Amino acid sequence: MTPADLLTRPRIKICGITNPQDAIIASQLGTDAIGLVFYQASPRAVTVTQAQAIVQALPPFITVVGLFVNAEAAYVRAVLNQVALDRLQFHGEETAAYCESFRRPYIKAVRMRPDTDVNAIAQQYPQAQALLLDSYVKGVKGGTGVTFDWQHIPAQPLKPIILAGGLSPENITHAVNTVAPYGVDVSGGVEQAKGIKDAAKMAAFIRGVPMSIAHSVTPATDTPSEFETQPDALGHFGPYGGVFVAETLMQPLAELQQAYTHYRNDPEFKAELDRDLHHYVGRPSPIYHAERWSKQLGGAQIYLKREDLNHTGAHKINAALGQALLAKRMGKTRIIAETGAGQHGVASATVAARLGLECVVYMGAEDIKRQAVNVYRMRLLGAEVRAVTSGSKTLKDALNEAMRDWVTNVDNTFYIIGTVAGPHPYPAMVRDFQAIIGREARAQMLEMTGRLPDALCACVGGGSNAIGLFYPFLNDAEVKIYGVEAAGEGLDTLRHAAPLNAGKPGVLHGNRTYLMMNDDGQISETHSISAGLDYPGVGPEHSWLKDIGRANYVAVTDDEALNAFHALTRIEGIIPALESSHALAYCQKLAPTLSPEQSILVNLSGRGDKDINTVATLEGIQI
Amino acid sequence: MSRITACFQQLSTEKRAALIPFITGGDPKPAQTVGLMHALVKGGADIIELGMPFSDPMADGPVIQRASERALAAGTRLKDILDMVRQFRQQDAKTPVVLMGYLNPIEYMGYETFAKAAQAAGVDGALLVDLPPEEVGDIGELFQRHDLDPIFLLSPTTQPERIQRICQAASGYLYYVSLKGVTGSANLDTKAVAEKLAEIRQYTQLPIGVGFGIRDAASAAQVAQISDAVVVGSALVQRIEDTPEADLIDTVTAFVRELRNAISSEAPSAATA
Repeated sequence: MTPADLLTRPRIKICGITNPQDAIIASQLGTDAIGLVFYQASPRAVTVTQAQAIVQALPPFITVVGLFVNAEAAYVRAVLNQVALDRLQFHGEETAAYCESFRRPYIKAVRMRPDTDVNAIAQQYPQAQALLLDSYVKGVKGGTGVTFDWQHIPAQPLKPIILAGGLSPENITHAVNTVAPYGVDVSGGVEQAKGIKDAAKMAAFIRGVPMSIAHSVTPATDTPSEFETQPDALGHFGPYGGVFVAETLMQPLAELQQAYTHYRNDPEFKAELDRDLHHYVGRPSPIYHAERWSKQLGGAQIYLKREDLNHTGAHKINAALGQALLAKRMGKTRIIAETGAGQHGVASATVAARLGLECVVYMGAEDIKRQAVNVYRMRLLGAEVRAVTSGSKTLKDALNEAMRDWVTNVDNTFYIIGTVAGPHPYPAMVRDFQAIIGREARAQMLEMTGRLPDALCACVGGGSNAIGLFYPFLNDAEVKIYGVEAAGEGLDTLRHAAPLNAGKPGVLHGNRTYLMMNDDGQISETHSISAGLDYPGVGPEHSWLKDIGRANYVAVTDDEALNAFHALTRIEGIIPALESSHALAYCQKLAPTLSPEQSILVNLSGRGDKDINTVATLEGIQI
Repeated sequence: MSRITACFQQLSTEKRAALIPFITGGDPKPAQTVGLMHALVKGGADIIELGMPFSDPMADGPVIQRASERALAAGTRLKDILDMVRQFRQQDAKTPVVLMGYLNPIEYMGYETFAKAAQAAGVDGALLVDLPPEEVGDIGELFQRHDLDPIFLLSPTTQPERIQRICQAASGYLYYVSLKGVTGSANLDTKAVAEKLAEIRQYTQLPIGVGFGIRDAASAAQVAQISDAVVVGSALVQRIEDTPEADLIDTVTAFVRELRNAISSEAPSAATA
């Protein structure tokens, strides 16, 4: 990149918005964020009701920041419960522990005195996303309206700097050229009266923000990106993930975490895993350029990552193998697994056979009826398939039952989870085992096309194939990422499985994530034509990627997926799994909007042989 | 003084362990719960643990899972559970009531809303099975501000540093899970439980209740000798499942009385005081 490529416009936040009209005008003029003041003593304070009206009125892509000053934690939580805030901003003497306790990304405001050491404060608030530097005026907290001496800002700040304090249309250009901040924050400087913004002043202010090279985007640092440092030690991806289990599971999970941390860096373990991935699974899986289909759709070039060509026919084996090798190292003699459609059960039974481990697979009684062939495959492989008759008798209940087995038999048993859900360390561990998909694909695309793809597409149930593809691309900001959920019979019908599109955050199966639930917090039953996507939750890392905007989550219906299933089969001679057909269906919509010079990489996560009966039945054919 | 603290103070003068029966709110039907709660007290319960039903009770065995399913099928909602406590309080101002369940319905309602409503209804404590102290954040403090004791589980595999942490986060009493597994599992090793309780007592003055695996008068009596409270859940809930509705109150009262008599007759005070 040339220096010109690094020029960006600093992000703009208009703070102290008190009414929807001002919010709409600020958005139309091009602000990146608005600030709502939840501090009663401020003339710009808003009530929860006012805040809700403002948020309701906002167009998409505007970040809403809630400003607090030494507030009671319960008040902050109450506001968070009622107002969709994207970020918190703390202006008082709050401690780092307090700021982090809300599990939301936050900005810490610093009132600048001549002796303030900005980088020392940055170290005190390691989780803060940025520091907002404001002027110190005795007795005044929040918007002071006067500038401070910008010379006190360190040349190499440890955190992105948001410049505030006395900014106005008159001084903004000079301020940005002098400080080169990550962002700027204005309130009083664009008002006609306290709490009432002036459209002309806002327009002049935003126009006055010049392009600059912000300190925080200076490349070539060795510090890992925010994506590489997730999750934290307790498994949190932002506010999601974590360890929400009964006390009886805490020690087994701690032991698993310890073992995984040890072996993931153990050269012998890595060598054994690599050997099996190559000779047993058949990796690397190829990338295939779907030329006929691309031409027919008349847009971007479509490339397929062929996880369907793995041993057992899907990506599931990558993580099942990794976990089974870990089980062996931990001295466990028995593995258990949950399965919905049976693919993860088959993968687990396969690696258990390969390693000589006892294997029990939990499967909902309803799913056993629907997936007789996979049940028989597991039994052929020597696994015991146990029918789960509690709850809705599907995948989520199989997961509950496997957890119950694990807690009872933890001494000799390893629980192989099939997706990037569950309590820490499962979401991170399964992701790491699946990330081989994206690592291979990134190198293969560079080799085949000389550049990175413009977009990635993968289906998301729990989301393991998707995170496996996405993870190695997260730092490549120019690569757009699309996770495709199952819209079933439509997002407005309740007959779907799209928590990221139509659910709410909650706690299930050991982690906080987006969930499908009713209005009493009870988990809903889901529907999808594809059993592998028929799950009410989603991996917590996806929830986080959604909230921070790095990935887009869309949904396609049963009919659209079925249509793509037929298209790929007839045009390219590849029968895709119904799960993967969801990713293909979205690709079918996306490709025509791009040019033939651009490319889309789709994770073809599994083969469709297992779905032939389902498709035939839908078309009224008896096989 | 909170009802829970007052209850354990009274019991310590009587030199007797508390009897804490568990039932699921709304099982078999919401209308029966308040009557059952009074029956528990009549039979000799010292504290009531009232289960808040959840669709995915991951830590529970089949007996309590089915109770949750019955309660949900009968239309029980979280606010109904709070209302049951409110109704119970109209006639019983003394017996502590602890709500036990899973996090999601409460998170959905909002922690502050829940804490306020629980306090107003007369709830004394809350045990959220899938909320370990690592994730509790400010919720414990919020509960305490609303006179709700946050009650936490301890297990045979809980390590010393975490025992300490849990003891610091808890108030009211602690709940020791006597065995690996889910609620309603068999096989209780009294000697192993006694050893672990001694270890836990190095870190706390709080009373310690023991649950999971207490099925009858004999096992209740054994546990009463080594603990401050005996929690009986699945054995009682199983009886609720097996009993015709007309006989529910009598059956439950009789079973609780049997447990209470077993505990009382084993009280050290009878022999040593």
